[in-house]
Amino acid sequence: MSGNYRKWPMILFLGFMTTPIILMYVYLFLDTVTNSPPGSMIPNEFTTEHWRFLWETIPGRPSIWAATWNTLLFATSTTLIVLVVSSAAGYALSRLNMPARSFFLGSIMVLHAFPTVTLLIAIFLILQMVGLYNTLIGVILVKASLELPFGIWIMKGFYDTVPWEIEMAGIQDGASRFQVWTKLVLPQVKPAIMALGIFSFLAGWSEFILPLVLAPDNKVQVLSVYLAALIADDNNFDMALFKSVGVFYVVPVIILFVFFQNKLMNIYSGGNKG
Amino acid sequence: MGNSKHLGLYMLAPAFLFVIVFFLTPVLLTGVFGFTNMSTATGITGGSYMVSQSSMQALKDRHDLSEIAKKLSQVIYTIDEEGLNAAAQEGVDAGTLAELKAGFLGQSFQKRRAVERAIKSLDNRPSSTRAIKKLSALFERSVLNIRYDTEVDLFAAIDKFGLPLSVAEKTAMSDVTYTGWVFTTDNFKRMISLPDTMTTLINTLFYVFVTLIVFNTGFALVLAISTHYMDAASAGFFRSVWLLPRITPPVLYVLMWKWLAWDTGFLSTVLGPLGFEPRNWMLDTPANAWTFIILINGMVGASMGMLIFSSAIKAIPSSLFYASEVDGANRMQQVRHIILPQLRFPILFITSYQTLSLLTSFEYILLATEGGPGGATEVWALTTYLKALSNYAGALEYGYGAALALVLVVVGVFLSILYLKLFDFKTLTAPPKIE
Amino acid sequence: MRILLDNFTKSFGKLTVIDQMNLEIHDGEMIALLGGSGCGKSTTLFAICGIHKVNGGRILFGDKDVTNITSQERNVGVVFQSFALYPHMTVEQNIGFPLKLRKEPVEQIKRKVHEIAEMVHIEVLLHRRPGELSGGQQQRVALARALVRRPDVLLLDEPLANLDATLRLEMRSEIRRIQQETGITAVLVTHDQVEAMSMCDRIAIMDEGKIVQITEPRDMYVNPVSDFVAGFLGSPPIAFLEGRIEDGKFVEPSTGVHMPLSADVATANNGREVRVGIRPEYFQPGNGAMIKGRVSFIEAQGRETLYNVMLPDGNILRSIQGSHSPVKIGDDVEWGVDTAHILIFGQDGLRI
Repeated sequence: MSGNYRKWPMILFLGFMTTPIILMYVYLFLDTVTNSPPGSMIPNEFTTEHWRFLWETIPGRPSIWAATWNTLLFATSTTLIVLVVSSAAGYALSRLNMPARSFFLGSIMVLHAFPTVTLLIAIFLILQMVGLYNTLIGVILVKASLELPFGIWIMKGFYDTVPWEIEMAGIQDGASRFQVWTKLVLPQVKPAIMALGIFSFLAGWSEFILPLVLAPDNKVQVLSVYLAALIADDNNFDMALFKSVGVFYVVPVIILFVFFQNKLMNIYSGGNKG
Repeated sequence: MGNSKHLGLYMLAPAFLFVIVFFLTPVLLTGVFGFTNMSTATGITGGSYMVSQSSMQALKDRHDLSEIAKKLSQVIYTIDEEGLNAAAQEGVDAGTLAELKAGFLGQSFQKRRAVERAIKSLDNRPSSTRAIKKLSALFERSVLNIRYDTEVDLFAAIDKFGLPLSVAEKTAMSDVTYTGWVFTTDNFKRMISLPDTMTTLINTLFYVFVTLIVFNTGFALVLAISTHYMDAASAGFFRSVWLLPRITPPVLYVLMWKWLAWDTGFLSTVLGPLGFEPRNWMLDTPANAWTFIILINGMVGASMGMLIFSSAIKAIPSSLFYASEVDGANRMQQVRHIILPQLRFPILFITSYQTLSLLTSFEYILLATEGGPGGATEVWALTTYLKALSNYAGALEYGYGAALALVLVVVGVFLSILYLKLFDFKTLTAPPKIE
Repeated sequence: MRILLDNFTKSFGKLTVIDQMNLEIHDGEMIALLGGSGCGKSTTLFAICGIHKVNGGRILFGDKDVTNITSQERNVGVVFQSFALYPHMTVEQNIGFPLKLRKEPVEQIKRKVHEIAEMVHIEVLLHRRPGELSGGQQQRVALARALVRRPDVLLLDEPLANLDATLRLEMRSEIRRIQQETGITAVLVTHDQVEAMSMCDRIAIMDEGKIVQITEPRDMYVNPVSDFVAGFLGSPPIAFLEGRIEDGKFVEPSTGVHMPLSADVATANNGREVRVGIRPEYFQPGNGAMIKGRVSFIEAQGRETLYNVMLPDGNILRSIQGSHSPVKIGDDVEWGVDTAHILIFGQDGLRI
């Protein structure tokens, strides 16, 4: 920006507003490796005891590694489904002639804005009826489906930016529409696929309500439900343990965020779910 | 390019399938389930028919058939082939049974003592009282608390029980004894009559509008504009930090707030020396609970607006800023006359979409207060969840929950279609250029 | 290969853009479709290559009716305005792409790509990506890709519009050279009359979906069929005066400017309202019919100088002169029109 206005009042102001967030995150990490005397916020010793959940299973809970594996499976599977299905559907909506095209586009837009949590009860009952309740497959299919309108919409947006002339050239060179898509257009939207992939993975990794309702069983428990159950258990109050599990849970998120921050910012501002 | 028509449909087919199964079907079924009394008691698939204390009470109350109800609630003793065969199996003397059959077959007795008396009256009666009791027990007949898969089975049993029913009585009978769910509009009557509904509605509106105005648009604007007046590094830092709440998984994010608010948490520890009693700041009063709920949601919501507003500000040509500065505008005037007019559309966009998402989201409230203290922070979507899916309440009322959800679904469909009209659908559907 | 458009009609929804157009392009000829934006020239090009389906009429390549066959089966090479190179492929992969789709053997693809690269002078660039090339180089790659599979016809859609001025000059002659070397039938779509005139054997000038005139460049310049064609060709452009033919002369009533016309034209059209077009090279000092005016603008172009001369009624005549004369803006001048070369049009715009 131009040098006509002073920057420091803005920085001071936002710095003040931002302090609570920073404080919460600093203590989140700090508390997992330290102990503080009662009634004080200043740590007085270093410890690894809060991380013991990594090598000894907490009584009554599944092993953290089982939950991690479930979460990984859940997040990657939903991501793969979302990527494959929405990159195909997005292309069809963006570029191909088909009957009722504008109807499909309109439906995707409506679904995109539509609040999916309201469908929870019906989905719960459907999964019960078809026997997919308390299975990872069931909750994976549901999560992927609910992410799809967003994914299709984002992919359509990215396909829209690929120049038409590239496709025309491909057709002149003798490629079928399918070859144009796979050989010419998909390589152009690689960054978009990457961004959507990271976004979907994070969405799956963080998802709480769906697994809580649709797959709460210990065998299929994901980390979010694991952590929530730990916190909700009144017999076992240990804030430092909760935080350690939380940090363990959030590490992949932080890594992805640090490396792909700009991509994520793009896709968050392109979406509208909040 | 005749084949591209079909190619499009093939490429769309998987998405179509997913959306139909897990999107459209749930929408429709929410509508269907909303008009049922489905619950843990009724089960979710079909039910069976059972004469029980409560169904007999219903028969008395709803159909005025107290006589039948009374009879069906009783245990009677009938001398029938079935009982005789069972007795033969048990090794009861054949002579006794032959005599019993000859004398009493088809007779019913209201009381145990009556049937015992009948047995005692036989020439070939069992020797001990115990044997008599045992034999009489084999003729004990009741329809109470037995599940019948179909109503035909039920009526057959009642028939055998010795209580032939008229057609009207049968209808009433199958009505009260059916244990599965049935269609009803009771959910909506209940929704309207309960005072809680109004409270929840007011809570919801309060929560949506305050969060929306203060954070999702208001503070988002502050963030976008103040980072605009910074160097790139500071702006990037603040934007990243404010994106953290959105990136952090909800369970962990709310845990951090709990750490801040709990009675052994940050606030209690820091405020302790200042004379404040340690307490759970998040749950001690409704006002505090609301403050935390709005902060928790708002900090997540603000980042979305921040990103969209920031990119809108970035799209303003810098010559406009330079020109206004040369013309002598101070910062407030620049914000007022250059930035805000350009943000009109993004603000409308954010407001619309976040209204809908706040209206239906309950994840953070569930994690933070679960609607407490005493239901003070219960919003519509959370009530829906608690009624239908929360395990703590024990009996889950799927039907009533679905009815509550149906209200949100209808609002959701209505608003999404409205947004579609609002945000210029036509430009997004320009026809393909390759024919 | 000869290309024939036979009663070709194209509409978008209710809007008919091209109505029953006929055009024959001879084998080995390079023809320009020249016209302003929205005249239908690009639509015609897209119909020839099959990206647009036609709504009526036929398109023939040689004797083969290609109206209803897809782009992929037509064997047409196209160079797009933006060149449309595939950004994720190297130059070699770009050029080889059409051959790869035909599943030609790898060795053969390599050989053909190298041959064509040599012809368009990009042998050294084969391993670069399009992003690393200059505009002119991209243009050459696009040409090579269009030509590598020996198409029946080469279509060029405003190929020079994305290049800067010097490159444009260079590529103009390069494209023409390559076209002549390969002997391919080519269609150039352009809005730039200089490109059309300098590169093509014939020009088809289009207006509102119709071909107004089709002929060789020089002939079109000298003998335009209408004032539209006359105005489109020539830089600086032709100037028009409105008036009437009276007694063997053209007279502009408001200024009294008059100039003699050839006897046969004058007698056949006596009394008729007309527009005369005077090209700048035929309005010079020392020519026959003198016209008075004031110099309103001088543009020194280096070798030549352009003068705008304003007549008393505000009309402008242009004069382009090889030698620099000492005339200044505001000077009154009296220069002459070479009446043998003026173009006379009726009120309907058609040449008389």
